Amino acid sequence: MWRLALRNALAHRARLALTLIAVILGVTFVTGSLVLTDTSQRLLDDQFRTATAGVDLTVRDAAAFDSAMGVEVERDPLPPTVVDQIRTVPGVATASPVVRGSGLLSTDKTAGGKAIVPSGSSLLASWEPAPVGAFTLRAGRPPAADDEIVIDAATAEGHHIALGDTITVQAERTAGLRVVGLAGFGGAAGLPGSTVGLVNLPTAQRLLGLGDGVTEVAVIAAEDIDPQQLQNRVAAALGTEYAVAASRDIAAASADAAKTQVAYLQLMLLALAAAALLVGAFLIANTFSIVITQRTREIAVLRAAGATGGQVLRSVLGEAFLVGITASIAGVGLGVATAAWLRSLAGAFGITLPDGGLIVAPRTVIIAFLVGIGVTIVSAIGPARRAATVAPVEAMRLSSASAATGGRARTVIGWIMTGLGAAGLTAVIAGPRSSVGLIAPVGAAAISVIVGLVLLGPAVTPTLARLIGRPLDAAGVPGRLARESAARAPRRTAATALALAIGLALISFMTVLATSIKASVASSYKEVISADYVIESARNEMLGGLSHHVHHHVSELAEVAVASRLRYGHWKDGEATRALTAVDPATLPEVASPRMVAGGLNALSGGGIVLAESVARQRHLAVGDSLPMTFSLTGTQRIPVVGLMLDRDAHALSTDYLISLDTFSENYREHVDASVFVKIANGVSDVAAKKAINGVLADYPTAQLRDQAAAVAGRTLMIDQVLGMVTALLMLTILIAALGITNTLALSIMERTREIGLLRAVGMTGGQMRWMIRGEAVLIAALAIVLGVGMGIAFAAGTVAALGSAIEAPLVLPVGRLLIIVTVAALAGLLAGLLPARRAARLDVLTAIAAS
Amino acid sequence: MTISIAPPLSPQSGSTQSGSTQSGSTQSGSTQSGSAQSGSAQDGTAIAAQACNVVKIYGRGDTAVRALDGATLSIPAGQFTAVMGPSGSGKSTLMHALAGLDTIDGGQVLLGDTDLSRLGERQRTLLRRERVGFVFQSFNLVPTLTAAENIALPLTLAGRRPDQEWIDELVAILGLADRLRHRPTELSGGQQQRVAVARALAARPEIVFADEPTGNLDSRAGEALLSFLRRAARELGQTIVMVTHDPSAAAYADRVVFLADGRVVDELSAPAVPAILSRMASLDTSAPAYATKTATKTATKTAIDSALDSVMDEEK
Repeated sequence: MWRLALRNALAHRARLALTLIAVILGVTFVTGSLVLTDTSQRLLDDQFRTATAGVDLTVRDAAAFDSAMGVEVERDPLPPTVVDQIRTVPGVATASPVVRGSGLLSTDKTAGGKAIVPSGSSLLASWEPAPVGAFTLRAGRPPAADDEIVIDAATAEGHHIALGDTITVQAERTAGLRVVGLAGFGGAAGLPGSTVGLVNLPTAQRLLGLGDGVTEVAVIAAEDIDPQQLQNRVAAALGTEYAVAASRDIAAASADAAKTQVAYLQLMLLALAAAALLVGAFLIANTFSIVITQRTREIAVLRAAGATGGQVLRSVLGEAFLVGITASIAGVGLGVATAAWLRSLAGAFGITLPDGGLIVAPRTVIIAFLVGIGVTIVSAIGPARRAATVAPVEAMRLSSASAATGGRARTVIGWIMTGLGAAGLTAVIAGPRSSVGLIAPVGAAAISVIVGLVLLGPAVTPTLARLIGRPLDAAGVPGRLARESAARAPRRTAATALALAIGLALISFMTVLATSIKASVASSYKEVISADYVIESARNEMLGGLSHHVHHHVSELAEVAVASRLRYGHWKDGEATRALTAVDPATLPEVASPRMVAGGLNALSGGGIVLAESVARQRHLAVGDSLPMTFSLTGTQRIPVVGLMLDRDAHALSTDYLISLDTFSENYREHVDASVFVKIANGVSDVAAKKAINGVLADYPTAQLRDQAAAVAGRTLMIDQVLGMVTALLMLTILIAALGITNTLALSIMERTREIGLLRAVGMTGGQMRWMIRGEAVLIAALAIVLGVGMGIAFAAGTVAALGSAIEAPLVLPVGRLLIIVTVAALAGLLAGLLPARRAARLDVLTAIAAS
Repeated sequence: MTISIAPPLSPQSGSTQSGSTQSGSTQSGSTQSGSAQSGSAQDGTAIAAQACNVVKIYGRGDTAVRALDGATLSIPAGQFTAVMGPSGSGKSTLMHALAGLDTIDGGQVLLGDTDLSRLGERQRTLLRRERVGFVFQSFNLVPTLTAAENIALPLTLAGRRPDQEWIDELVAILGLADRLRHRPTELSGGQQQRVAVARALAARPEIVFADEPTGNLDSRAGEALLSFLRRAARELGQTIVMVTHDPSAAAYADRVVFLADGRVVDELSAPAVPAILSRMASLDTSAPAYATKTATKTATKTAIDSALDSVMDEEK
């Protein structure tokens, strides 16, 4: 039977070709995602390991936690005495003070004075020769004088900076420095997505405003001592005020923190790959079931000749195995090739990944093969079982495509599941808005609807196809025939349409949900924030990244009545990491009008916290209770709850937890602002105010003055980026589904050869024939559009309702975008029908009539 | 194969030696002397279609088969003509050529005054739709359309409004009135063929071609269908050409034309079964070359054989 499977697969290679492509695309996606994320993670590991390669121990100020949401916490600087103290510990070979911070580089005024804003960080650090320093000189010499700097070779090349040029460094203080050397990092010319500025220790301390403090001390152990033992010794000598850690561990922890974003990306890519594979599975199942229907006689003959049902089953599955393994081989190859492309796609949508050689882990190959072969075989099981039940006597019958609509049980279960899902969604949508997460029920309802429709498909497709296809009647007989042809093979039409519908449902779901959330963000911002302008950093940094000098200068302007700033911080809530916003209770009411449910904003100045209403309810907290919060700098503190705010209004301030700036500075070392809200003085024109503010901002290249619309756009940028990337990748499912339409029609034309011959004989022109087939393709697409976009909107409505007061989003239907989706899907259907239509029109009339 | 429109060869003098030919000599005069260029026969009857020296070759080189080898034939309008011949004699090929279903490699085919050999694929399709009706042996109907829709198919394809009175009349004569809303699968074989006949006649074509229309029917249904075809010719003036190998079916026709070796070799007017049988017998014996070719060609395999072959030899 194996030989038969092989021969059949080869004989039907034309019929299986599109199936093969569908599996290949899915496997490619999986492989590409894994290769990309593996590579990114390995590169991050390498990067952090290189950074600490020559150092055994790192001494820093103690902190409750090292990083939150991928951002390393800021620590208090160490006094210079600590360095001397460490040097006295026996077993320490060298102890070098290191200063590190961030400093924006700008090209010299004579060269345009443009700020160099990388997608990642702008590192400013003290120069240390190897082995402590990880940077190696590629040209020039180390920075010796206070006005000298070494920058990374990549930045120098990218911005045409040469040795001897002057560049501006902007940190706590701003200075013009002369480039005396160019450095590389390991084998690379710089750090990915970053700029590097290296100056001597005093200059670094001066620019970063550290006085004589240092960021950390790098310790190298003597040759005869175990670093672990030395770690204990140094720790004992310094006491608990300072943290002593193996540099290797710090590198690993930093890499892990940096990898969290990659992990999210991996999850998203794999979920999208799963969607593509699911759509591909429909195509595979459809192809096998059509091929088997066409081979019924042949199978019956085999059965008559003595083959058992099991042998037939295995033969079909064997064929599926061959398709799966072929597709996996091709998919793995293509996937590796695609990984680089995926990286640039992620980059285009704002996710920067390190650049470097690709890593193909054995695990990736194994997963790709398991997925490719598994999906194909699982999809072929249904058709294979049907093949095994072919009775020998069917060899004697003239078999034709069965109009089977699926069993009664299948239909009944389908109705029940669709009904339950729809009822669940309706209940969530129509029900009271609750603050408790109803996301899980919505997900379950969505899956129930999809599974229900898959089961129900064959039973309802004829009616649906005739209904939706009614406009085709305008095209005369070819249109009618297209409609009837789709209705006649309900199982096939349903599977083909549902594959496309799932892709469309995902896209429209994402679109509607994103639009609704954006609308919610926009409306709550506009309701709560009354400031005329807001100043924010153009860099999309986790904590905002706006220099605190901006607030100082802007508030001194005569044109500005009030400038109130916001700071973001992270804290640990047990194991979980949460974000908070710090505000100035005195000036905030002048630029924003958040509605309180209990307590007042003023009470914040006493060192308390205001909670979003729903958070307080979940935690069973009321005004007067206290909330334990762990800060990196100060450890766990109990903060008294002094007020409750409407969720929606708190979200306009990007938070569930609100403290005062004073409380913030007690517990945080971070001193960058997230936003500065500006209210202009009475009698000052917009133009004058903008001019004055922009004059101040000229010295802060990343600071932007935004009006309300721009501020909202800044807040929804990430939603747009994720939506854009997901939509781009989901187009792959549309492509696979369109291939499915081509496949189904091509196979159905083979089956209908005589009918086509007859139609041509009695006078159907080639053109009419082409329109008939294209009409059927577009009808399948239309079915998918109705089901898919319908499902997408319904799921989005359910999700929006389930998010309830958390976002309090009204359901917003982006009509324009949905129309684009509909148009793209219809065009995909039309294109999918082109080849089969051409083929049908070119069938030789006589051969077609004579075909048996 | 000269591509000429010169007067055709006499089939009798060219290829038949058998003594049985003389019985056809009286009638055959009209075909032989009918000028291929003219639109009407000598005796004044209008000519619906004619083939002149038609050559059709399948394959190339050594394996080439001359399916039609100078076939010449006139189809008088308003008559029911049967075309007979042994398997492989070219009768189906001739019909396909006359109906514009197939191209020819030499000679000329006229439908009315239209030279089919000059038409392109699209023009031939339009010609079939407007001027020709078909009844095939099987699979005559589009399964997704009702009987009524199938009957109107050529008209609706052409975007023409069916002549409802005429169709009602056809339906009544064919006894299909209560079957119009049924789909083909819900009709008996005889009913299906009658729907096919109604469709063929619905557009009032110049000529109707029927290819073994009774081949899949039992004798009663077959007789009913043949009676109707004869009525259509006699009472409605419909020109009909039927290809058949069944002498009793051919006996319904006004005239039988015999083909052998890709040529018209004989014909009979007002044929009766015994006369047809004797002509056929003489054709078979007079064409020994065909006997062997036919034998191999007709050695049809059983379904099991061919299916087994397809599994073992793989599909092409």
